[in-house]
Amino acid sequence: MPGDLSRLLNALGLIAVDTVLALAFVDQLWFRDLPCPLCILQRAAFFAAGFGLALNLLSGPRPSHYGVTIVGAAVGAAISMRQILLHIVPGTGSYGNAIFGLHLYTWAFIAFVLMIVGCAILLLDDRQFARSEPWSNRLSVLPLTALAVFAALAVGNVISTILICGAGFCPEAPAGYLIFNENLRLTELAQAL
Amino acid sequence: MMSLPFLLFACGLGAAWLRQRGAAMGFWVAGLVVLLVLFRVHMSDVLNIAL
Repeated sequence: MPGDLSRLLNALGLIAVDTVLALAFVDQLWFRDLPCPLCILQRAAFFAAGFGLALNLLSGPRPSHYGVTIVGAAVGAAISMRQILLHIVPGTGSYGNAIFGLHLYTWAFIAFVLMIVGCAILLLDDRQFARSEPWSNRLSVLPLTALAVFAALAVGNVISTILICGAGFCPEAPAGYLIFNENLRLTELAQAL
Repeated sequence: MMSLPFLLFACGLGAAWLRQRGAAMGFWVAGLVVLLVLFRVHMSDVLNIAL
């Protein structure tokens, strides 16, 4: 696999991760479906996994970068599997909205498994690691967009998590933005708007 | 506390952007450790199962 194709595939993978994280924000802000603690940790695991793809774009592909993605995706798969098992017993309910019959944590588990399989397939070709000339610092539009959106989503999640959980641990089933409830009582105002 | 992993990964991304690969990997490892600790805290949440 030529290095340029590897960079393109990594950019497409990072855009897929960006899309998942952006959809989580849409679910949170548009459908008012606040994330539970395990949901927030799954979002963080998407960043841990996407970090390897970002490193591939910035520093060139390396096996260790794919390792970063695989480890991050494995942690995310463990967290999402834990949440699936929390609700697997009939009568224990579920958390959040379902999309096409599956809850977000089930989709997250599928996405993490796909990331691991995708990295394994990309690792099959050694030619991407045998580049003699150094990688250009100039990024084309697609990788640059993927990286910029990834960074913006990371900052957005920092702000969102502080708003929901404050400085401590998150409530098990958040009913509103904790920081508004405790400090400013703006939740009602935000709902009215 | 729960925002710490995002913050560490964002710092790592900044370090990678500045071509500081070692620092970027350090931030990633720190973020992953915090993520695992937080997972351990929430993994033992009480189940409300009526048997």
